[in-house]
Amino acid sequence: MSDVATTAAGQPLGTAASSRAEVTTTTRVRVRREAAPYASPYVAGVGIGVVLLLAFVLMGRGLGASGAFSSVVAAAVSTAAPSHAAGNEFYSRYLSDGAANPLRDWLVLEIIGVVIGGLASAGLAGRVRWTTERGAGITDRRRLVNAFVGGTAMGVGAKLARGCTSGLGLTGGATLSVGSWLFVIAAFVGAYATAPLLRRAWR
Amino acid sequence: MIGGAPFYEFGRFGEGTSLVIAVLLGIAFGWFLEQGGMGNARKLSGQFYLTDLSVLKLMFSAIVTAMLGLFWLSWAGLLDLSRVYVPETFIAPQVVGGLIFGAGFATGGLCPGTSCVAAATGRKDGLALIAGMLAGVFVFGEAFPAIGQFADSTGRGAWTLPQAFGLSYGTVVGGIVAVALGAFAGAEWLERRAERPARPMKVVA
Amino acid sequence: MTVDARRRPGIERALAIVAVVGGALAVVAGSPTRATRGSVDVTELARIVEHEEDHVTAVELATWIRDDKPRLRVLDIRADSEFADFHIPGATRVPLAEIARMPLDSAATYVLYSEGGTHAAQGWFLLRARGVKNVFFLRGGLYEWLEQVMNPRVASTTPQAQRDSIRALTLWFGGKMTVVDSASTTTVPSVLDGALSTPHKSDTRESIKKIRRRAC
Repeated sequence: MSDVATTAAGQPLGTAASSRAEVTTTTRVRVRREAAPYASPYVAGVGIGVVLLLAFVLMGRGLGASGAFSSVVAAAVSTAAPSHAAGNEFYSRYLSDGAANPLRDWLVLEIIGVVIGGLASAGLAGRVRWTTERGAGITDRRRLVNAFVGGTAMGVGAKLARGCTSGLGLTGGATLSVGSWLFVIAAFVGAYATAPLLRRAWR
Repeated sequence: MIGGAPFYEFGRFGEGTSLVIAVLLGIAFGWFLEQGGMGNARKLSGQFYLTDLSVLKLMFSAIVTAMLGLFWLSWAGLLDLSRVYVPETFIAPQVVGGLIFGAGFATGGLCPGTSCVAAATGRKDGLALIAGMLAGVFVFGEAFPAIGQFADSTGRGAWTLPQAFGLSYGTVVGGIVAVALGAFAGAEWLERRAERPARPMKVVA
Repeated sequence: MTVDARRRPGIERALAIVAVVGGALAVVAGSPTRATRGSVDVTELARIVEHEEDHVTAVELATWIRDDKPRLRVLDIRADSEFADFHIPGATRVPLAEIARMPLDSAATYVLYSEGGTHAAQGWFLLRARGVKNVFFLRGGLYEWLEQVMNPRVASTTPQAQRDSIRALTLWFGGKMTVVDSASTTTVPSVLDGALSTPHKSDTRESIKKIRRRAC
């Protein structure tokens, strides 16, 4: 961890011993543990497929994600403005007998698991970093704004479609639901249409 | 029915256990998502520039795996397919919602599920995206009185591809496998093409 | 810098092969729900029916219930609302479609009943086709139960011991026995003789109302 120049063998230069040693200027630096390579997307995909199948076998339902966000928002709105939430047809779908408890919502607990699993996988592979993933073409700040805006659009889109890539794409895809396949195709169209506008963001 | 699956539907266990199962399934889900690199927005967005098609490979692999699993478990009499939840079809909202969602996906570089993986691994953009999603859901909720009618329109119930195309379930399954493998071959070709430099590499002095 | 992904050509190839095989066979198979085949020995079944070993009387069933016959499963093949109105004590409601697929208990004795007995007889056939041996049905259905157990009308010429045992059984289920003067020229009409060949729903409802009034 020191910045002291040493020989390859670790002996500090500048001492009597070093005059006999080779003139190497190897500096010992802190070696950040290298991030392990990602797994094959096919293998990881099959892994997810098995998890999805397990969900069907155990629960009779598939996986999801956006629904968890709805539960949280509905619970928050109902806590802040109960009558407003109760009167709103969208929020009231998520509230049964008064304020919904997100911690009893299947999807919310699944998402908690996703966080744990993602952290575990990244932790063991040396891929945990407090950073912002972005291309060199934009700043951190710009990237975060993009992420927020993108997230807002996805929030609206997912609620319109009643699902997202997990709930419709994976679950609906596997159960051959027509609307889910339509959603995925539309999502890819929307993404490919938008991507050229953001090329610089990722370069 | 020998198997008696889906077990929850047959009353084999209660709500408490189902919530524990939710966490466990979620952990496995998050694990594999991160393993596949889906928690990294730069890797994910490669899909939309045809440089890194991991999203397609991962999603399609998952869909095919579960789809085949459902078919054969049902065929073996171990799973009652009629009790498995099929997401309902709402043609117009799902097409429009899909387009909007896709635009957001390309802008944000993550989807709802993967944003949680990204956030879990310290990515600030994941956190920003989660915040955006919550805002988006809120916006939708507040706008619901106005757009609710559209959102509930063109419903077709649990409409499946075999029903829509008038083909047997097994034919659709086989067709999707074929499309998937074709897509994988195409993806490999595209990625190889992306690796080849279009212009001569700048020599680093 | 985006981290590279490991490639596993061996595993990926194996997965692809499994997918191809799974998909191709799916096309051949066509439907994911196989028609469940049952098999019956027609001669055997004919013999059973002829010897009347396929059904039990309401009194027999009532005795089984009262004596807590081990592993007795009484199945009601009617609509939910009808079941909620009144059902034989200890019965569970199982629609015919479920009979075809429900998990079976090989050690159980199944007794099926419906309103008149036809559906129960069909359910009996389904269970026999599925390989169940200990299965019976109530030939007169719920009418028979109401008539023989809940509201039995006993001729006054019936021996005392028999009358007592019928009364005890009826009381156990909260029913009421009526003694009928045998001076009346007609015999006590019974659904089993075909005298009440098509009992009306109103008869059942009346009986059920009477039973409910008593149960306070």
